[in-house]
Amino acid sequence: MQAEIIDNIRFTTISPDMIKKMSVAKLIVADTYNEEGYPIDGGLVDQRLGVIDPGLKCKTCGGRAKSCPGHFGHLELVRPVIHPEFSKTIYLLLQSTCHSCHRILLTEEQVSDVKAAIKSFFVEDVPDENGTTVDITSLATTIEDSDNRLALFKKLKAVKKCPYCGTVQQKKKFERPTFFYLNNSRMKPDEVHDWLSKISDADVKLLGIDPAATRPEWFVLTTLLVPPVNVRPSITLESGERSEDDLTHKLLDIIRINQRLEQDIDAGAPQIIIDDLWELLQYQVTTYFNNETPGVPVARHRSTRPLKTLAQRLKGKEGRLRYTLSGKRVNFSARTVISVDPTLTINQVGVPLKIAENLTTPFYVTLWNIDEAKRLIQRTEYPMIINVIMKDGTRKRFTETNRDEILKALEPGQILEKQLVDNDLVLFNRQPTLHRISIMAHEAKVLPGKTLRLNVSVAFPYNADFDGDEMNLHVPQSLEAQAEARYLMQPKLQFLSPRDGRPILFAKEDELGGMFFLTRDGAEYSKEDACRMLASVGINELPKQTKDGTYTGKGIFSMILPKDLDFESKTSSGRIAIRKGELIEGVIDEKSMGGGGALIIKIFVDYGPDVATAILAKTSRLALGAAAQGGLTISIRDYYNTEKLDKERKIIADQVEAKAMELVQKYKEKKLDALPGYTRKETLEILVMAQLEEARHLAEQSLQKELTTENNAFLMSKVRARGNIVNMVQMSMFLGQQAVRGRRPSRGYSGRILPYFRKNSSNPEAKGYIKSSFFDGLSPTEFYMHAIGSRDSSMTKSLITAVSGYLQRRLINAMQDFYVDENSSVKDASGALIQTVYGGDGVDPMKERVAKNKMQKTA
Amino acid sequence: MVARELIPEHKLLSESEAKKIAKEFSITLDKFPKILESDPQIQKLGAKSGRLIQINRNDDGKKYVAYRYVIKG
Repeated sequence: MQAEIIDNIRFTTISPDMIKKMSVAKLIVADTYNEEGYPIDGGLVDQRLGVIDPGLKCKTCGGRAKSCPGHFGHLELVRPVIHPEFSKTIYLLLQSTCHSCHRILLTEEQVSDVKAAIKSFFVEDVPDENGTTVDITSLATTIEDSDNRLALFKKLKAVKKCPYCGTVQQKKKFERPTFFYLNNSRMKPDEVHDWLSKISDADVKLLGIDPAATRPEWFVLTTLLVPPVNVRPSITLESGERSEDDLTHKLLDIIRINQRLEQDIDAGAPQIIIDDLWELLQYQVTTYFNNETPGVPVARHRSTRPLKTLAQRLKGKEGRLRYTLSGKRVNFSARTVISVDPTLTINQVGVPLKIAENLTTPFYVTLWNIDEAKRLIQRTEYPMIINVIMKDGTRKRFTETNRDEILKALEPGQILEKQLVDNDLVLFNRQPTLHRISIMAHEAKVLPGKTLRLNVSVAFPYNADFDGDEMNLHVPQSLEAQAEARYLMQPKLQFLSPRDGRPILFAKEDELGGMFFLTRDGAEYSKEDACRMLASVGINELPKQTKDGTYTGKGIFSMILPKDLDFESKTSSGRIAIRKGELIEGVIDEKSMGGGGALIIKIFVDYGPDVATAILAKTSRLALGAAAQGGLTISIRDYYNTEKLDKERKIIADQVEAKAMELVQKYKEKKLDALPGYTRKETLEILVMAQLEEARHLAEQSLQKELTTENNAFLMSKVRARGNIVNMVQMSMFLGQQAVRGRRPSRGYSGRILPYFRKNSSNPEAKGYIKSSFFDGLSPTEFYMHAIGSRDSSMTKSLITAVSGYLQRRLINAMQDFYVDENSSVKDASGALIQTVYGGDGVDPMKERVAKNKMQKTA
Repeated sequence: MVARELIPEHKLLSESEAKKIAKEFSITLDKFPKILESDPQIQKLGAKSGRLIQINRNDDGKKYVAYRYVIKG
């Protein structure tokens, strides 16, 4: 369906005549219900305004509570009051016109100048190409024009004498929210009303208001539009007592004061009393529009709670706009804590039975499945029908009592809402949803328990962990939504990242450790072990036996590979080679099955998502089996230094320190040349920093040389399972240089960070160089330096995530409706061209890898 | 400012060429990115509003064609 295109929207003020035309009832009674609990005619819940109580009929349209949309009423104010939201505009108008003849304070020539400067209002009825006339007055004013208009008001304010009648202008004053003064005497709203209504249409136009839409005197209220009861429903409490809406309360106040004012005027009461009441009426109307008007005391409920009036309903985060209109809530969804389940595939999600019982999928009744539908209706336990959607779209709740009735009425075209069962596709989501892979479609697996469960491998794309994270589940209802989910959103289809074409699902941590044990050279397993491991991944065959009757780990791993796979690539420790599905050389590591993923990509591209997910799952199970068998753990022993290492670390630490001191010496002797763009002092800092950081490298190298994979901590860092060689250096060698914003710590009093050191000391330790390791423990000064560095890095980290998160959100909002069109051009929702070729080169990063791999293959 | 090596070639397209290109992208001319008449390159070409400009960018040998629709201003 082609939607109508909205050309423009015009907001104008409503005229008293229009109010009377819209109104179905003039309200005169300051009350709601009579003693019998029946609405009073002419009261605030007059039945002509619509009905909300069931059983009553609307006196205007005859509709019942549900079918009557409600109708506006009005009330006549005995004395006019200022509309508080327009008081500023009124002031501008008063300032710009003469208080005597009510003309704009401009001479004829000046008027034509203004007309020339402010174009948008005065180019009228210009015929366009087609000969039809366009009313330019309705176009939005340009920025330039509104600037010019501001300047105009400023000029008008300063005019001393009316150019028409020659009256010397008296001082006009405005006191928020609704008081106007002429020559320091208060103007009553009726005087203001009079003045405004005497401004000519031509002058009004000059001042930026289109008189065809809005007359300035409408800014002073003479009649008040009363919203229908549907807008302000009353609630019946358990005790049978009625509790009225805040708006009704406010309107009651207005009518009450209005009536008293009328009586007093009719009785000829003294002017002071009338003025007081008038002002009170003004107050009631002001708070009716906005109970947070500055300078006005807040109107309160009997319980001292501030009343929620019109502006409060619309405003802010909890207002109608942001909460009700922009906010979205959905049915067919669930949310709870998540936890792990290794028996699930990455494509599945475990759904608690309690949730499955409450979520439904539609079952479309047709001629061909009507028997199945009958069977479903007859069921009395879990996968049963919850609702029936009749052909007219009404939803009927299914109960034990109306089963026969529903069964009898069953016909093609109805839709049964059936409880969620295994293999139904559901959307699974975790906030913040920064990614397309933060929402994926999983097959439901109904399980006992109370948590949603997922395979650990998909925790990564959701960025989820299990320390109390909650996730949302949505059940797609339409067939289109189900199809989209099935063909676009399943985890197995999201194998590669749309960002850089690298795998999203891969082996990590223990899986990598286990893979190392399994596939390293010399890994051999007895027949019993091999059988057990292979059986755990559903394989009932054994690989080739070695001469001494054992099975190699490489051979066992090869069993899960496709028989025709040929693959070769570099790894972190050499290379791997697979010939005809046989791993003949190398260790499976992070570069092949992990985040680097060359082998995974190859399998995904050549064998498709199903094979790839299956192999990944088997890899995981095999590896965890191998890890469990070998035992992969770390202990304090992994951080003991050999005598040789201990010697080396002292040498490195001292050597580097000496070199740094040397630099300082050179600097002091002015022999140090400045680097381009830096002062000599900066140069020293940079060189010293580089020198001290070098210590870490050296320590790393000696660790690399000395340690073997016998050391599990080292092994884990080597196969990229967990930890990093730097962590080992920090624990068993030394911490090295601490940094604040990439520099050595330098803040402190009188040229030192701590009074422990000498002033302007050239000792690196005075500026955050730490020679101890975590194993040794830090000295108090070292501890302090380390704390400085930690604080700096934790602050930068949190600030950077906040800033970049906001930046990303804004980019997403700006680009959310861009799409790639047929000829790979990029357009936005309005069809405007953004890029002639997507990304400037037409490359889809997700497919780019594929292209590269194909190229390698042919080469 | 009009002839610097860093400024890519701006080419004024004939109205029929413009029509053809718009058709290629199946959009109307006003859906192209815009450029002001007062832009130095447009001044140099003397193009009036309503015309389409082709910009031939060359990024290290990678060719990329952009279009601009001339508007008043």
